[in-house]
Amino acid sequence: MLIYSLLAGLLFGLYFTLIGLGLNLVFGVMRIVNLAHGDFLMLGGFLAFWLFNLFAVNPLPAIPIALFLFMMAGLPLYYLLVPRLLAARDPEMLSIILFFGFSQVIEALTTIAFGTSERSIPGIELGRPVAAVESWFAGRKVAPGPVTLFGQTFPAAWIVSAIVSALAVFLIFLYLYRTRLGYLTRAVMVQREEALSSGINVHRVSAIAFGVGIALAAISGLFAPFMLGSITPAMGVDVTIVSFAVIVIGSLGNPLGTVLGGVLYGISYMLMQSYFSSWANLLPYLLLIAILLVRPSGLLGRQVRRA
Amino acid sequence: MFQKLVCGLGLASIVALCGAAQAAEAPKEIKFGTLYASAGPFAVISMPVHYGLKLWAEQANAEGGVFVKAFNKKIPVKLVAYDDQSNPATAATLYDQLITQDKVDILITDSGSVLTAPAVPIARNHKMLLIDQTGTGANFFTADNPYIALMSDPVSTIWPKPLADFITHDGPALGIKRVALLYSTNDFTTTQANAVRKFITEAKAGIDIVYDQGVETKTSNYTVLINNIRATNPDAVIELGYDGNDIAFLRNLQDSGTKFKMVFCIYPGLETNVLEKNVGGEGLQYVYTYVPSSEIAYQASFGMNLAQYKAAWDKKYTDGKVEFGFNSVAGYTTGLVLEKALSVADSLDQLALRNAIASLSGNLRTLDGTFAIDEMGAQIGEITPLGQLALDKDKHIKFVTVYPHDVATGKAIYPAP
Repeated sequence: MLIYSLLAGLLFGLYFTLIGLGLNLVFGVMRIVNLAHGDFLMLGGFLAFWLFNLFAVNPLPAIPIALFLFMMAGLPLYYLLVPRLLAARDPEMLSIILFFGFSQVIEALTTIAFGTSERSIPGIELGRPVAAVESWFAGRKVAPGPVTLFGQTFPAAWIVSAIVSALAVFLIFLYLYRTRLGYLTRAVMVQREEALSSGINVHRVSAIAFGVGIALAAISGLFAPFMLGSITPAMGVDVTIVSFAVIVIGSLGNPLGTVLGGVLYGISYMLMQSYFSSWANLLPYLLLIAILLVRPSGLLGRQVRRA
Repeated sequence: MFQKLVCGLGLASIVALCGAAQAAEAPKEIKFGTLYASAGPFAVISMPVHYGLKLWAEQANAEGGVFVKAFNKKIPVKLVAYDDQSNPATAATLYDQLITQDKVDILITDSGSVLTAPAVPIARNHKMLLIDQTGTGANFFTADNPYIALMSDPVSTIWPKPLADFITHDGPALGIKRVALLYSTNDFTTTQANAVRKFITEAKAGIDIVYDQGVETKTSNYTVLINNIRATNPDAVIELGYDGNDIAFLRNLQDSGTKFKMVFCIYPGLETNVLEKNVGGEGLQYVYTYVPSSEIAYQASFGMNLAQYKAAWDKKYTDGKVEFGFNSVAGYTTGLVLEKALSVADSLDQLALRNAIASLSGNLRTLDGTFAIDEMGAQIGEITPLGQLALDKDKHIKFVTVYPHDVATGKAIYPAP
């Protein structure tokens, strides 16, 4: 039971890393809290649902589609909302209010468009690519189904989402530390005014980061029907709360902190489910309070500002 | 002669005055105040109930309203409805608003125990009869509170009896000795879990509850819990949750490749269409559930029967955004019970209404079965037998009633293949 909970926590935590990654990037670059983050995830979930139902597109090939669509949506959204926010006296607080309202609008519009019912994609759909890889390694046909890892059996979707999450972290790392745009992004993260005065097109850099942030939310949404039971227009708020806890635990603005926060959250959650199941959903709040009391800057707090 | 004339004129005047007074007092409309959740976790169970009630109100108004005995005439119905967004705190404010600002004649809850809970003390404090549509939590019904009546769903203290009886009566012969109980910690499913536990324990049938855990209602991933249940090697698994819980549980069960000999969930029966779309036919096959009135064609002595109601629903709600299921029947049933109660109530006084509703107990048969409430206002009729889901030749879900035996349409398949 303990080993299963730990492994499940690791895999589940990696999925929450993927969810938190975009939120943290947006906060790190712009110092604004996107409380509509969970709603972009929900929209990603609906994208996966409709792509699957209308065109039989598996969620994996839907990743580039989500990336493109939400990047394209994120860029104009940035210019519409964020520059005005950043010009305010207290952009962080104002962003919480603004994006909370935006979250409500997204939820309401999605409810009007699609109704309130839960929607899902059969779990076997993410089992197929895993089975294909297993078949290739085994040299024989392997039927889609759960995957055995260190003697424990997990749904294939957990493995796929964990791999996608690890890849996303790696690519974000490359983007931030191995590309020119990444250097500029980090410069904005460290000191926005200095970046501006040194001639960096801060808004362009921030807009791209904003687009990447919500695209990451949407990509994590592609796996939500598998990882979170189903998708509904109302799911965004709860997801935002958990992802906010994840990035605060790791440290606001630090992608590596998000990995740590996600894994810590996942393992703690699964242990709570095993041993104190009634209290498991209190966990994000308990961790938030604990981390804010003990280490307000998050577990990897200092490094980010000096990145 | 003169005396007779005076008496006659006097009586005529009194009758005329009474008639005039009645006509003057009769309201233009009877205000039904209710809440619904267009968004949030309870929207799925709230909107069908609300749509059912709306459908009833529109039909009633199309016929000139409902007959109100207190005024001896038909009076149109006005539905005053607010959206609580699945938020109990918002619901509390809105219930209060319906009573104090809108001054509704009849107060009707939102669907489900979570959104009914805030209404119970508010209605009681205002001495307003609470028409509880589907809130079955045990603590809503107390001997000292006459201001509540449950319309649909048996109260959760007795609702799971067919399930528990099946396990304790038929279970030992089938090989059921170890039961796992997993439930969401809200008024509805906690009450159901308590009832299951009580019935099984009291039966002394040699059944052990080997796993007994509550989880928060917002739980959306059950994989670890399923693994923990599997470790206890149960012969039967009872999972009690709302529709989102059941979807997640059954999907996780399927995705993790775990098979239990018997699995019971509530919502495959209550919202079958939603569950089938999310879990799929194969995921629901062999699952045990309640067989609700949306699956049994009860002979209705009042209102439409199931086929007529389904046709009316499909005609009115064509976009398919709100699914037809047990909850849609429940909303319509609320309307029917109130219509009947108004036709026999001597006044619109809240306790008179409660007495009128009580007088229908055991005498009113709707498409939801026989309406019967106890002295606390809890529904004790409209019992849902235990069923097991099977696939028909088109691979769609069908119900096989397995318990009680006198209404059974087939035998339970145990263990599930």
